Amino acid sequence: MLVSVGGVLALLLILPVFHPSGYVMRLVSTIFMWVALASCWNIMSGYTGYIDFGPVVYFGMGAYTTALLMTRAGMPFFLSIVAGGIVAVVFAVPVGIPTLRLRGAYFAIATFAFAEAMKQVALEWDRVVGVHFFEGSNGITLPIGPSHRFFYYTFWVIMTILFVITYFIERSRMGYALKAIHEAEDAAELSGVDTLRIKVTAYAISAFFIGVIGGVDAYWLTYITPNEVFSIHITIQMVIMCLLGGMGTLLGPVVGASFLTLVSEPLWAKFPYDYLIIIGVIIVVVIIALPRGIMGSVQGRKGKRRGSGA
Amino acid sequence: MVLQSIMTGLLLGGIYAAYSAGFSLIFGVMGVVNIAHGELVMLGAFISYWMFTLAHIDPFISIPFSAVSLFIIGYVIQRLIINRVVDAPPIMSYICTFGIHLIIANLALRFWTADYRSITTSYCGSNLECAGLVLPYARLATFGMAVLMVGGLYLLLSKTDIGRAIQATAQDREMARLMGVRANHVYAITFGLGAAITGVSGSLVSTYFVIYPQMGLSYTVTAFCVVVLGGMGYIPGALLGGLILGVLESLTATFWSAGMSSTLTFFVLFLMLIFRPAGITGRGIVE
Repeated sequence: MLVSVGGVLALLLILPVFHPSGYVMRLVSTIFMWVALASCWNIMSGYTGYIDFGPVVYFGMGAYTTALLMTRAGMPFFLSIVAGGIVAVVFAVPVGIPTLRLRGAYFAIATFAFAEAMKQVALEWDRVVGVHFFEGSNGITLPIGPSHRFFYYTFWVIMTILFVITYFIERSRMGYALKAIHEAEDAAELSGVDTLRIKVTAYAISAFFIGVIGGVDAYWLTYITPNEVFSIHITIQMVIMCLLGGMGTLLGPVVGASFLTLVSEPLWAKFPYDYLIIIGVIIVVVIIALPRGIMGSVQGRKGKRRGSGA
Repeated sequence: MVLQSIMTGLLLGGIYAAYSAGFSLIFGVMGVVNIAHGELVMLGAFISYWMFTLAHIDPFISIPFSAVSLFIIGYVIQRLIINRVVDAPPIMSYICTFGIHLIIANLALRFWTADYRSITTSYCGSNLECAGLVLPYARLATFGMAVLMVGGLYLLLSKTDIGRAIQATAQDREMARLMGVRANHVYAITFGLGAAITGVSGSLVSTYFVIYPQMGLSYTVTAFCVVVLGGMGYIPGALLGGLILGVLESLTATFWSAGMSSTLTFFVLFLMLIFRPAGITGRGIVE
């Protein structure tokens, strides 16, 4: 399986050499970005079953950190996105410690509330404090970025790093601990697993990369507003992609993100007005018909080889 | 000024309580976090809006129509869709109800456009003025309706056969089934009931605020906050949570900034979940 994934990644790496159209480059880069985002969500929520409903908060933080550093401090792009990831971790650890003690719907609602609260802060800060910093709903314009090819490779690198990280986590003690938390958290705790620490670590890793991706996307978009980069639709898309592909599997986010992006792109182009209705119907139908996701169902047929990433 | 702000907040809180009670009921009985909840408010509001605009029927009179239509919609949604995911991990129901949210909100957008609409009744400018306070009649009536509804729901659950069947199913589904309760039917009735009172609140909302097809999500969020404040699944808690949130928001809007009042909502929600997930009353369901 690894050989074929490696082959696909290598093929994608040399794809730009054949000068595909701008549309193809954009589409494939978008898929890379969503594969990376869905993988981040998978590391934390996919394996543990803790449903994070506010990952977009780190996306927004990364986007804003990058935008502010690049425009105000003239910092280079790569340093800025790493700073975006670090800011995300600085928030994720103190937020994760209390919220990851909550279970079920409470964790989901708490993370959601935090994300919406931070969006409101970004929107209202300037008016309330009386400064020009986040620029509220006016947004921030970044310097014009380089070509599509630049973002293509940047997202390719981030996606590949995340794939490798997930691969190693799955096979590490941490991976077993995460799965144990999913199956029976109290039993894991009793057998000496420091569950809170493991959960916070996974949460922080995922926040870091979401922050970095947010930074890259900000530069790609060149214009950001809180409503856009803190949008609940980004969260939902990450969740749905994982769910479609199969939560807690190595390839699940890859399959789910590629599938949903490829399906929604032509739908959006053909039915701009009915697009969201169709997506809604797809979600409901998939949940009822394929409750374990595409990869989960494939694995189920192969005789339940859970976690081996068949 | 402080007193006026508190009174305005209490009246607002009544509405919050009314549309959150259904959310609490559905969560308490089935463990489903209904992300499409705000859409039920929106549908109720639009039913009243169209009856007022097309047939000049007062929003307070169109309330039974909202209740019945939303009951049917709720029953059907539960029977066709949500009953199939009730036993699945909770994430399935979040995502499933999010799908329903997308469908309803965007169908409404398609049919009714994104225009902001409001109902202007003949009595909407008249106020009760006493002791230096200005209290609009429409809001007082709305508040009364809201309190009656939450109280009625509470009585229904504790005093009637169907109410007891709902509570029994919530406590132990298998046991209830052995006693001859049809769980799927009870779930559908529960969702229908939750949807009906939410629809009525939608009618009440239409006398207060501007309405538009995309309004749902923010109502869902407020319902989260109210229900967590009062205790998830504990119906009278919704009333308490609604009033507290209403007053808090009103005070923030008066003395600080209207934009900060929704920020505050989220921080209150976030801090409550961390420090007191069972709500102020301590009677909410904690997983």
